[in-house]
Amino acid sequence: MPASIDIDAIIGLLIDRSQRADPELARSLGYEGRKASALLPRLIARSAPPQHLIAVAASERAVAPLADAARRTGWWVSTASPDGMDPLAITAAVLDPGVDVVLLGAGEPPGPDERRAIEDVAALVAAAAIRRPELTVLLAGAMSEQLPRFETTDGDRQGEVLLAPAATAGDPPGSALRELLDDVRAPRDDARRAIARGAAALADTLDRRIEVVDIGFNGGLRAVAAPGSGGAPATSSAVLVAEACLVPPNPGDEAVDRVIGWSTIPIDRHRLRDRLRELRYAPWSDAAGDGARLRLAAARAALATLVEATPEMSEGPAPDLVVASGGAWAVAPGPAIALAIADVIRRPAAVAIAYDHARLLGPAGSIPDASERRQLLADVADDLLSPLASVVIPAGIRTGRNAGRVTVRAEAGTSQLDLTPGGIELIDLPPGERATAELRFRDTVRLGGRGRTFALEITGGLGGLLLDLRDVPLRLPDRPERRRELLEAWQDSLWVTRDR
Amino acid sequence: MIAPELDLVPRRIVLDGSIDVRFALRPGDRPLVAAGDTLVPGSRILDRVRDARLVEVRGGAVADDARPGDRWSPTAGSGIPLRRGSSGPIGELLFELGGQWRMAAGEHSEPVDTPIAGVVRDVRPGVGIGVRAEGRVIHGVEALGEPTRGVLALGAEPGEGGGPGIVLRPGSLDIGLAGTILVVGSRVDAEALTRARAMGLRGVIVGGLAGKERRDFLASEARQRASLHRLPPFAVLVLDGAVRRRIASPIADIFSALAGREIAIVTDPPAIVFDEPSIQLPVAQPDLVRVRAGERAGREGRWGGLAGLRRFADGSFLEAGWVIFDGAGTVAVPLGDLERFG
Repeated sequence: MPASIDIDAIIGLLIDRSQRADPELARSLGYEGRKASALLPRLIARSAPPQHLIAVAASERAVAPLADAARRTGWWVSTASPDGMDPLAITAAVLDPGVDVVLLGAGEPPGPDERRAIEDVAALVAAAAIRRPELTVLLAGAMSEQLPRFETTDGDRQGEVLLAPAATAGDPPGSALRELLDDVRAPRDDARRAIARGAAALADTLDRRIEVVDIGFNGGLRAVAAPGSGGAPATSSAVLVAEACLVPPNPGDEAVDRVIGWSTIPIDRHRLRDRLRELRYAPWSDAAGDGARLRLAAARAALATLVEATPEMSEGPAPDLVVASGGAWAVAPGPAIALAIADVIRRPAAVAIAYDHARLLGPAGSIPDASERRQLLADVADDLLSPLASVVIPAGIRTGRNAGRVTVRAEAGTSQLDLTPGGIELIDLPPGERATAELRFRDTVRLGGRGRTFALEITGGLGGLLLDLRDVPLRLPDRPERRRELLEAWQDSLWVTRDR
Repeated sequence: MIAPELDLVPRRIVLDGSIDVRFALRPGDRPLVAAGDTLVPGSRILDRVRDARLVEVRGGAVADDARPGDRWSPTAGSGIPLRRGSSGPIGELLFELGGQWRMAAGEHSEPVDTPIAGVVRDVRPGVGIGVRAEGRVIHGVEALGEPTRGVLALGAEPGEGGGPGIVLRPGSLDIGLAGTILVVGSRVDAEALTRARAMGLRGVIVGGLAGKERRDFLASEARQRASLHRLPPFAVLVLDGAVRRRIASPIADIFSALAGREIAIVTDPPAIVFDEPSIQLPVAQPDLVRVRAGERAGREGRWGGLAGLRRFADGSFLEAGWVIFDGAGTVAVPLGDLERFG
């Protein structure tokens, strides 16, 4: 259901349908008549609206790590420093009513390029903060010594002035500042922040290493969670990137290029930009035909932005399960979502891909008590995720006619297939069905470890088993027509409901 | 009796009540109003400095209780007089460093008038002037240019049925339209917009503005802003988006009722503001729905009830509603593509 529809109308429809599907059960649960919607308990998880942060420092070099920390915590970021702007322009940038937070920082200790201008930028930002008492100001690193400039006695100030760690503090470097920026951006029950907690609870429930990729209207989130062991709680980490939203406001040339790179519809840049702007204005509209393919191209581009912003997560151990979440995937066929994720997140591993079709991870993660969270997810574990596919991506396959052979043994029978380098092989395996895949390669490949023979336990999905023998990372032709044809051919094999 | 499922169609508010409008102030701009002032259309509200630059104020010239944003004027024997014979305030204090104030000042300024009536809510130097607008409001998705006011003229018949709507061409404009805000229908190109401005039009209201035309118009605006002799303010209000679709009939009907009356376009938020309490404005039929996007974008019909989950082109399964089109029968349209009016 489009998110723009009144929530009570959707609940009313849901109750009507459940009554029609099983009147007796509905009656026993008390879901009789439209008034029942008012009686239902509600768990509401909302994501904070996007906010704009300006990072200000005494030099271009010093402003870069501040901006990087902010970008990885879901802020729209602009930067200002005396190296590239005059004081009047910096003042105008800080006074811009679209700016919500100023992150004024310096190294600890400040570098030689910063020392001469620290006092200047602090005086400038302090003066601007007097004019905008609602502005939140963060003083990072050595800039915290400038706090007296921001301490006013007139009582006008509504925004906070906070002392923040230096941009490189913490382990890993920058983590301390990111943690604070995350807290400033959104409350702890923010839906996107809650997804990371939901992922941790899910990792514990399933006893699997989980990765969640959420692409939404106002940002993209990548979270990894590992189950706890020896009584320890599950661990999780998450990065939220505003630029990894489905379509950024006023998509520029770079955003258009990214989408064109994944588009399977022949369209010129101007028309594509218009379509993307429309998608931004009304993200739930035009979801059929070309619109569906355009949306998936935009989702791939957003996911690629998210993956580029989180290299440390790509370098970590591969998850057992990747969960797709967010409105970007909402109207795409399941197998096409699995392919989109396999196109962009390319690790030599075997992973299951599932879809958070009811978008419950956020609400579940917003439950404050960890044990209640786990209990809820355990109760709904069988219905929570829609299994899309198991994907096997070996790396290091040499080009040639035949790379080896796969044998899949399932309850329904055994199937064998030759492995053709550069392509995608599909093996039908219904959702929930378990199987063993034996892969015998002619040469040594990487698939978790290095080897020529692998035996993998896999589970089925809407797309079955997807043997992805394409390059790692994926290489696409430079010529637009050839690239489109190739993407189209790959998608055709998985978009089984497509009109031909 | 309206089907209860109609509440599953997203509602678009045609007419809104009073809103807060913001007029941007850049450092150096001089506000001419104060909080609580009552404005009528045409009231001068600020002087915009066209060549603001940073100026150091000599020590001792600024009062001890001065605050950033205060106006500063030179007195005998202190400061840097920027304009010979000037006696009024000539700069805006920015910040103090080492006992020395810096301010934003410039030689050339231009007056800005309000196109709307209202009450000034707040004045924040360097940030903006907030005004609670009087009258009623039609929201758009984007407004380019500057806040403006003019007599509403219909350049097309946006309410007529069938077809994709009318595209305004440069040749369609003549000098007789000077002073008007023109409703041009489904789409307009940058050349027509530039010509409209040159002809003395005050604004254009359009259903969709393509990205290329938008970019070209903004470049033309930037050139206009840089020129010494500026034309009157001009704005483009985009009602729907970037692709071609006719203006929704409930909004077109209101434009028809307002034709010949003065309206304003404001840019923050992007909207049309008008204060015509004596006019009875038409109200949309409750079961009227419009296709906002997709292959039938811009078409209107009557709500025929919920169609449920349906298969659409390329195998997308979407919740849909039945729409009864005049002459085209009853068609299932995805709910996400529909809008109703209220």
